[in-house]
Amino acid sequence: MKVVEKRSGQAKPYAIHTWRDFPPLNISRGNMLHNLTGSWRYIKPLYEDKVPACQNACPAGNDIEGWIRLLQQGEIAQAYWHLKREEPFPAVLGRVCFRFCEAACNRAPFDHRLGIRSLERFVGDRPAPAGDIPDLPPLHGKTLAVVGSGPAGMSAAYFARLLGFAVTIFEKEPVMGGLLRLGIPAYRLPRAVVAAEFAALEKMGIALRPETEIGVDIPLEALVRDFDYLFLASGSHASLKLRIEGEAHCRRIMSGLELLRRFAADEPPRLGKRVVVIGGGNTAVDAARTALRLGSEVMVVYRRSASEMPAHAEEVAQAQEEGVRFRFLAAPDRIELADDGSIRQLVCCEMQLGAPDAGGRRRPHRKPGAVFTVAADSILTAIGEAPRFDYLAGIAAAEKEGVPTDDGLRVVLQRCREAAIYAGGDIIDIPRTVVHAVAAGKRAAIAMDCRRRKEDVMRVLADIAIGTGGALSFARYTGRQPVPPVRRNLHKVVTKEQIVYDYFQKTPPVIEEIRAPADRMTSFTEDRRTFTVNQAEAEAQRCLHCGRCTECDNCLIFCPDMSVLKRPDRDFGYQVDFDYCKGCGICFAECPRGAITMVDEDQPIEASTARRETE
Amino acid sequence: MKQVIKGNHAVSHAVKLSRVKVISAYPITPQTTIVEALSEMCASGELDARFIKVESEHSAMAAVVGSASAGVRSFTATSSHGLLLMHEVLHWAAGARLPIVLTNVNRAVGPGWNIWADQTDSLSQRDTGWIQIYAESNQEVLDNVILAYRLAESVLLPVMLTYDAFYLSHTSEIVDIPDDRQVDAFLPEFRPPYRLDIDDPHMFGGMIGPDYYYEERYVMHRDALKVAELYPEICREFSGAFGREYDVLETYRTEDAALIIVAAGTITSVSRIAVDRLRSQAKTVGLMKLRMFRPVPVERWRHALGRAAKIVVIDRNLTAGLGGVFAAEIQAALYPLAKRPQIFPVVAGLGGRDVTPEDVCGMVERALSEEQAAAGPLFWGLKQ
Repeated sequence: MKVVEKRSGQAKPYAIHTWRDFPPLNISRGNMLHNLTGSWRYIKPLYEDKVPACQNACPAGNDIEGWIRLLQQGEIAQAYWHLKREEPFPAVLGRVCFRFCEAACNRAPFDHRLGIRSLERFVGDRPAPAGDIPDLPPLHGKTLAVVGSGPAGMSAAYFARLLGFAVTIFEKEPVMGGLLRLGIPAYRLPRAVVAAEFAALEKMGIALRPETEIGVDIPLEALVRDFDYLFLASGSHASLKLRIEGEAHCRRIMSGLELLRRFAADEPPRLGKRVVVIGGGNTAVDAARTALRLGSEVMVVYRRSASEMPAHAEEVAQAQEEGVRFRFLAAPDRIELADDGSIRQLVCCEMQLGAPDAGGRRRPHRKPGAVFTVAADSILTAIGEAPRFDYLAGIAAAEKEGVPTDDGLRVVLQRCREAAIYAGGDIIDIPRTVVHAVAAGKRAAIAMDCRRRKEDVMRVLADIAIGTGGALSFARYTGRQPVPPVRRNLHKVVTKEQIVYDYFQKTPPVIEEIRAPADRMTSFTEDRRTFTVNQAEAEAQRCLHCGRCTECDNCLIFCPDMSVLKRPDRDFGYQVDFDYCKGCGICFAECPRGAITMVDEDQPIEASTARRETE
Repeated sequence: MKQVIKGNHAVSHAVKLSRVKVISAYPITPQTTIVEALSEMCASGELDARFIKVESEHSAMAAVVGSASAGVRSFTATSSHGLLLMHEVLHWAAGARLPIVLTNVNRAVGPGWNIWADQTDSLSQRDTGWIQIYAESNQEVLDNVILAYRLAESVLLPVMLTYDAFYLSHTSEIVDIPDDRQVDAFLPEFRPPYRLDIDDPHMFGGMIGPDYYYEERYVMHRDALKVAELYPEICREFSGAFGREYDVLETYRTEDAALIIVAAGTITSVSRIAVDRLRSQAKTVGLMKLRMFRPVPVERWRHALGRAAKIVVIDRNLTAGLGGVFAAEIQAALYPLAKRPQIFPVVAGLGGRDVTPEDVCGMVERALSEEQAAAGPLFWGLKQ
């Protein structure tokens, strides 16, 4: 270990003869700079930013802490662009995301989880952040056709354009947005928000081709011939049938998705006074709430109990507030029809829950003989949707779970085996949420770019994987993220155990205002209000910044050896003086947010402090 | 500016005037209001100091050991059991030669639980190496703090200032609060000769073997002995600035006294009344008020008491199996004299029991009537 020249405090030899030679207190004569206590150390601290639990839980790998920090600093436009590096549609996901991030938030066990979705919506709703998207690269000449303009297709188009592809999106409907436009009611996601996202995509140079159905207007082979890359994201629209007596001839039965689609296309059907919705998923709840807003009395019939409902609990609670009734543990048995095809009554049987199935949910069984009837003018079915694969024309096999792909979402092909065809969203086997679809688009875009650059896709994907959740870091992939002030480890996740809650104050959360149920149920205008600037700043202050150094100075204050120094070479972060650091670990223990790691002394200091400039 | 304030707030004002930089405390009855006022002053910005909340008195003392080691003027306050919990760190503070000032509200030690005046708490800390000074009035309480910082920083020893629970701590008296510029002139900013300095780091309080420990302690003792000479000089300067006179002790009508009463704290006030009353009966009685108890101003005690025939020492404290601490120490100090006064030790007023002028007159008359002092102390007012 090197000894700095000026550190020449070595005590000179001296003699003590009488008590008069003593200083008044017990103190070393020379100073102690020569005593390099760093030699006692066997573990050492390393400043290492990690993955916050929220980002780890986000399928899209949203760098939530990164933009919340900018928000705290009042840099709203910067926060917007930072957010859009990893997740393209903050105004959309800020409204409809199922908030996997918030469920994982390390703040939850302390007081109340952070309102990440509300903050994201605030950032997404800021009036037109100045300028175009930064660093939009020139086109490299390769083309991409995206089939379907839902969230998966939008996401793939966005990221592929950021990677230099010339992108065209094909949509069979006259309006763009797929499920966002036709499957999610406007009171949750206003049409203008979706339209604005497409305006932004067009501004990036992405071509939009509505009313063009692949397999009908253009065969898939033509796309394979005309484009270098394909991304299939045609979604899942074919509603499953109830397969009960009377269904086939009933004139007053339609799928929940069809109701949502027709309403969104301004062609709402007449439902009558009493509507029964069959199913327990999000489509069922959206259909029920839409029917309610169209003036009907609505009952949802679900074969399992409330806790097994796949629908988002928040949506269910709001539906109940608005007056939707739920009949659990019941399944339709047959529809008794009048002569004109209208419904006389719906006969249901009571169910009971048996042993858990493969998915962990308890399987419902008919309770023998327990039958009841429900009066209904219309029945809406929402027991699930299946993708339609007929347009694939044998190029790829379609299985029950969806189109088979590899980890880079490249479709396993039966014909045209050399074609670069990728798929995402509801046509592959992933959870059917908007954010999972967005994640799939991102993953496919990166994989396509790897293929274009002839890189080892699997190695790259492993390299840019965030934490344990499988999301990918676009910033790490492109290397265009500014060098973070502290070494960043993309693979370590900060858990609750690493947070020192003593350093935080309990603070009540800021909650988005929601209109009263009576007001909500009569209109399709949006039911929640975007945060004001003050609300957003207050809620942003609650972020714990898990695993990300904020320069709180705790390490500097607590270091008993004065060995934590402000970095002399830049204006952020700390440097450890390893001449004197004893490796006591107090900095590590007192870091409120797990931004310090203790590593083995044998790990070379140079290697441990070196930053990867590609970050 | 004259104000009617409690003894505790006299301390708070004095700490503020002394421009203390670090205050660390754990609240304990009856001193709580000292630090309560100080915490408010820190919060309002009236006093530019760091107020450190701690979880015990041991930590309170440890915190000011740290701040004083870093070279800033530091203060803490406590009482009875709180002081006892500080005991270990009190030794350290003195050995490390840290000029900390501590005020202790003299209060009885449990059990039984008793929050009233009694000096056993501070007297049980007499061997810690701290300078100890006792006060009789709220004015004295205030002035003692300012004097204490001058003294402590001159000799690098900590000072414990004590005063009686409730008789002073919670009793309002007229107190002249000095002007801050006057105090600044008398008490300059602390410039420590030794302090923790990250650019010139030294080892403090390291291991020291039998070869040197003895000399190190002797150096501390020698410096403590200087206090008895230095303190009167500081008091003379104080008197010049503020017009109030202090010393290591105070005598009242002792010039021709055949009997001298010795007392500390508020019992001195009632003793002064008793002296006047006894003088009016042609009894030549005087009073010596103990102010500084550590270091022991031996020569001054001998000079003040040596010519009297009899001495009555009133102790509001008890070391079980011996008697009063003051009496024992005065006996020890006077023993080498060729002509020794007769000493009549009295233990009185334990746990806050009132000691009135009549009580003191009674003690004196008893001493005057006896030819020879008894072997042990007289327990005045004991329920027989």
